[in-house]
Amino acid sequence: MSMAGGPIHRLIHGGAFALAIAGGLALIAITALTVASITGRGFLWAGLGPVPGTYELVEIGSAFAVFAFLPWCQLQRGHVTVDLFLKPLGRMANLISELVSNLLISGAAAIVFWRLWIGLADKKAYGETTYILSIPAWLGYAAAAIGAAFFVAVSIYTVWRSIRELTAAGGDTEDGS
Amino acid sequence: MSGIELGLLSFPLLILLIFLRVPIGMAMLLIGFFGVWLVTGSERPILAQLKSLPYDTFSNYSLSIVPLFLLMGQFATRGGLSRRLFDAAETWLGHRRGGVAMAAVGACGAFGAICGSSLATAATMGQVALPELRRSGYSGALSTGCLAAGGTLGILVPPSVILVIYAILTEQNIAKLFIAAFVPGALAVFGYLLAISIYVRLFPQSAGRKEKIDGAARWRALLSVWPVLAIFLLVIGGIYAGWFTPTEGAAVGAAGTGIVAYVNGGLDWKGLRDSILATAVSTGMIFFILLGAAVFNSFLAFSQLPQEAARYVTDAGFSPWFVLALILLCYLIFGCVMDSLSMILLTIPIFFPMIMALDFGLAPESTALWFGVLVLIVVEVGLITPPVGMNLFVINSMAPEVSIGETYKGVVPFILSDFVRVALLIAFPGIALWLVALLR
Repeated sequence: MSMAGGPIHRLIHGGAFALAIAGGLALIAITALTVASITGRGFLWAGLGPVPGTYELVEIGSAFAVFAFLPWCQLQRGHVTVDLFLKPLGRMANLISELVSNLLISGAAAIVFWRLWIGLADKKAYGETTYILSIPAWLGYAAAAIGAAFFVAVSIYTVWRSIRELTAAGGDTEDGS
Repeated sequence: MSGIELGLLSFPLLILLIFLRVPIGMAMLLIGFFGVWLVTGSERPILAQLKSLPYDTFSNYSLSIVPLFLLMGQFATRGGLSRRLFDAAETWLGHRRGGVAMAAVGACGAFGAICGSSLATAATMGQVALPELRRSGYSGALSTGCLAAGGTLGILVPPSVILVIYAILTEQNIAKLFIAAFVPGALAVFGYLLAISIYVRLFPQSAGRKEKIDGAARWRALLSVWPVLAIFLLVIGGIYAGWFTPTEGAAVGAAGTGIVAYVNGGLDWKGLRDSILATAVSTGMIFFILLGAAVFNSFLAFSQLPQEAARYVTDAGFSPWFVLALILLCYLIFGCVMDSLSMILLTIPIFFPMIMALDFGLAPESTALWFGVLVLIVVEVGLITPPVGMNLFVINSMAPEVSIGETYKGVVPFILSDFVRVALLIAFPGIALWLVALLR
């Protein structure tokens, strides 16, 4: 299935891969932080204590991770679809449906990124910070925006991929049956 | 058009889009976006909401359980625990009639205690148990049927991703829901074992016989699965006992299974990379649906449909049991074509207020917990009902020599067992609730 390794292809795949791994490492960091915090809390008598602000860091980390996972999921066709009813209609119908879906997702990704960006500007303007660690709230949005921006790029790439698959399949059916 | 009419119209539209193979999350996002626009008469409210809604959904502290449980499941899959669990169960049960199938179900149940996903449980245990079942002379129907059904134990036995989502949607306590699901989960294992036992007596040729294993070897095998027991007790026990929040519990579980996988040599760079990438796909998939559902539910709230629907069923004077039966039937029908998470996200905002408006003779919180466990069971039945039960395909694809028709036949006893369990739970809500009351 892999198409010729042009520079755009490599950039999209490499970027989505790197982001997914970064998101995974963020999850592992959340895990380690939480375990450290629980352990500290359990050993209060020994002078240890919970890591302050764990809750806030978990939230920021998980927002970064989830946004960072979206491009990889889109690239790997990871979304849940109900295939039962379109399957009998053949490959063309399914490829068209995929193209439309990818167009819709591109639109949605663009709107999500756009609004996230405005949200970031709002948070910056109000100078909002987290409760315990006083982390500026816009920093969380900025971490999320990395994945959200790349999600737009990958979605558009999958539109292009759908078009290529469609034209290839169209050529086949004209020659064949 | 009024809000209610728009709300009512949105469902057929949504289902049409979904059947046209638009990703479910995307369909909900689309209908929800334009729904809010139409109901409020302006694009501003939804655009204003979208400034924070995606970030709030993805950074939600309770929801961060989901990727952590998924990562935990990946580590468990790579930790070599599935093989040991099956071996241990087989040394104890293998010599019985249908014993290897029973061992597969038992191992699935134990694996479900450290993995919150049905597909992962079915796939992991299938790899280990399927060859052994076939080698021991078990029919294709029974081998694939028991593993597809066993996979649903991944969700039925806490921890469970679906329960987390239900808890957040309905603002219930996650720890209490896990407790409420515990006995029904154990009952599910027992029901499946019973189904196998009856099945092999009706069709004796469908199972081979094995020699009995001596006591010392049995205990050795059982001892080798202590990490599973330790992790389960720590995670679920810790959450139940209130030592830590469910999110913290998920982190403890991920760390524990990660360490076990590392010690067993399953977590070199390649293993870690594959775990992360698989987690990325499932997390992306789930959160994209969650985002769509958040937008769609905000539209439903604007449309007033949930309140009106709840008022309608109470005013019409239907029997609560009739409404409940109808709702559960809906899940069974939709479960034939749709995945469990999407079904829950789509329907709970409508069905939950209905159920809470009716009188089942239980306290409101008890009703919510009981209904949650009931829904959990019926949506999981969807994973093993033909024609599109996902678990059936997962297991069937691992056994090329078994036709899908045979798998359909093999899973029937387990579906019947599920029905019996649902009926029992409806008749005796205490099955789910007594442990909650005990631990309160």
